[in-house]
Amino acid sequence: MLARDAESLFWTGRYLERAESTARLLDVTYHSLLETTPSEEAQAWQGVLSAVRLDRRFAETKRPLSAGAVSEFLVLDPDNAGSILSSVDQARENARTVREQLSTELWESLNSFGLQLRARNLRADLEFQPHELYGLVRRQCQTVAGVAAETMARDEGWRFFTLGWNLERAEMACRLLSVRYRQLSPSAFHEWMGTLRSASALEAYRRTYRASMDPVDVVEFLLLSRTFPRSVLFSLRTAQNQLDRLAEEGETSRPRRQLGRVCASLEYADVRELMVGDLGAELFAVEEGIRQVALSVATQYFSNSHEFDLHSLQLMPGDRG
Amino acid sequence: MGNSTEVAGLFDGYARDGFFDEFFDDHGEVRPHYAPLMARLVGFTSDDLSRRGRLRDAAFRSQGITFTVYDEGEGIERTFPMDLLPRIVPADEWSHIEAGLVQRVTALNAFLDDLYVGERAVIHDGIVPPWLIESSDGFCREAFGIPMPLGARCLVSGVDLVRDGEGTYRVLEDNLRNPSGISYVIENRVAMTRVLPTVFADQQVRSVDHYGRSLLNALARVAPQASGDRPTVVVLTPGVFNAAYFEHVFLASQMGVELVEGRDLVVDDHVVSMRTTRGLQRVDVIYRRIDDDFLDPVVFRPDSSLGVPGLMAAARAGNVTIANAVGNGVADDKAVYAYVPDVIRYYLGEEPILPNVETYLLWDEDQRAEALDRLDELVVKPVAEAGGYGIVIGPSATDAELDQCRRQVEADPRGYIAQEVVALSRHPSLVEDHLEGRHVDLRPFILSGEHVEVIPGGLTRVAMRKGSLVVNSSQGGGSKDTWVLTAEPLADELDDLGPEMEA
Repeated sequence: MLARDAESLFWTGRYLERAESTARLLDVTYHSLLETTPSEEAQAWQGVLSAVRLDRRFAETKRPLSAGAVSEFLVLDPDNAGSILSSVDQARENARTVREQLSTELWESLNSFGLQLRARNLRADLEFQPHELYGLVRRQCQTVAGVAAETMARDEGWRFFTLGWNLERAEMACRLLSVRYRQLSPSAFHEWMGTLRSASALEAYRRTYRASMDPVDVVEFLLLSRTFPRSVLFSLRTAQNQLDRLAEEGETSRPRRQLGRVCASLEYADVRELMVGDLGAELFAVEEGIRQVALSVATQYFSNSHEFDLHSLQLMPGDRG
Repeated sequence: MGNSTEVAGLFDGYARDGFFDEFFDDHGEVRPHYAPLMARLVGFTSDDLSRRGRLRDAAFRSQGITFTVYDEGEGIERTFPMDLLPRIVPADEWSHIEAGLVQRVTALNAFLDDLYVGERAVIHDGIVPPWLIESSDGFCREAFGIPMPLGARCLVSGVDLVRDGEGTYRVLEDNLRNPSGISYVIENRVAMTRVLPTVFADQQVRSVDHYGRSLLNALARVAPQASGDRPTVVVLTPGVFNAAYFEHVFLASQMGVELVEGRDLVVDDHVVSMRTTRGLQRVDVIYRRIDDDFLDPVVFRPDSSLGVPGLMAAARAGNVTIANAVGNGVADDKAVYAYVPDVIRYYLGEEPILPNVETYLLWDEDQRAEALDRLDELVVKPVAEAGGYGIVIGPSATDAELDQCRRQVEADPRGYIAQEVVALSRHPSLVEDHLEGRHVDLRPFILSGEHVEVIPGGLTRVAMRKGSLVVNSSQGGGSKDTWVLTAEPLADELDDLGPEMEA
């Protein structure tokens, strides 16, 4: 398939997952903070911003560290490329450039999601019914994922779409864990529960660990579960599966090697050891590994340069700017 | 006019105003081919229709069937409004149109092949003056000697037809470069079958959804010989910001081929390839939806980043086929258009089946004098424009506009033509809660390959503004689903209808 189309599908997946994770994170944070002190609140919102790696961008806007300002920044700020609205717009724009690769139903569900979001009064939503808004985003992203799963052939296009989606999910989950791990004391029962809930993991967690809320168990579940689809390891294995099938017979591609190493380090990890040692450093290493994989995927599949390529050599007359 | 109050309500105050009406004859009777539709309209209230209208709008928007209008630098996605009442063309009328279009496109293919790779016999034999060809903006010396297999230079054409006051179909424009609109033809049909399924029930309407297959066949047939049985075909688009982007996507997906942009293609050693996830893959046929000027910055506009450097040289080497062929614009020149009837006689030895609109060549002194005399009765058009731009309609122009027009013509007589005003036929269209007559034209789509094939029907465009004669989508036009009826109702349907018809 066209390198450019592969790239657009990869980013469609990434942006949708970004929108969904951001909505989940905001939803849980907002509702867990309804009964807290202002200083706790500021700390929690700082954590949310770090988890989506927009803390510095937010500080530049000089807005107060409040629920209203952070939510607005992360939901509807058009100048913030990481806001939910921007992410969905970019997912839609990317999908638009590869529409011929998508099933009609998939395009329709993504397009109407984008239009629906644009048509809403998001400010009023944030003020009066944030839970409904976040639920809508989550459901619509899940709808798109479901329609994709039901209607897309398992060809190259699907692989890049799924690859982007899962790399983003793993990266977000990793960051969420490192923020929570730094902030929360082992006894912060409600907060750990909120962390699970933000990943829709609470029920699945309870079936595995019963009602205990030991941070070791929570981290193990969200990081290493082999059965829960939003865990870091599960997402990375899904991504790995796509890369394996993208590689030609007998070929060991660079992104495949890199991702294999990241997965191996998690597969054989022991959470208790990690918690005693430096979990933060380990999580950071995983996150960095994921970023490297994404870069290698781009080099390997998306930038097919050619030695006589006038476009990239800028040899065209008049092309001096 | 039917005895139902509902239908009467929809048609309340309907006036033909002396125009040829597609729906009603001169006595105000429903034309026979519209009778079944009229019968179905019984029982529809205006509320029903507006509900279905909303259904249609929602469907078009969520499917993203839109075109982009640029307003103050910001692109706005608009849907192309489809009127709920279909236009119906009976079988005998259609076979006349079809024969006329096949004849016309066959002759135009021969004409363009003669100009670009032939002996230019049409010029030597004095049919068309050489200076007229050479002074045409669309004439492209860079296209000399570039082969087009089967001579199918107009691989896709979208000939604009209008009906005059007598109901005669006339050719207004040939559109041999990059005609758009076929996606609306097919999507309109899909929308109609969803929104108003019952109105199809009594009639055999010829389908249009085989277009993708027909287009792919035609494109594969013009592939360079060396490319074998399964040539790689691509659609080349200027990109997502182009107004017709939806159609480019539509065509690529209907054919199941890649939709590429210029930056996806590279030319090396006169061979065109596309960048894929597995390296470069050779391309054999390019259905391009980019204008000539932007195709290849080496040959044409050096500032174009939409095209592919070296593409023309690859085509000249016979390693890739570009469709439509480069240089077709010369035949779209409105001054050259005036010669098409002669061109048909010259190449085919036949009388044209579909007449042109009466056209005056303003570089001819006598014709110019006559035209300038009657400027307020004529339409003046720049020869190189399409899409309704730059037109001056005499009867509705102010004196100042006419004066300016006169000065422009006198300064550049080769640059304009004048035509008699055609009183375009009208068709009932839904305006708020009732039907009013609106002017329509018809753009059928014609494919050249092994044979010349006409897709039944085409895009009926509607001038939505009252009294307006301008139907272009860029000028606020709408469209109609266009039905071509089969010659004979199916045998079993005849049986069904039998007793009723006797009764």
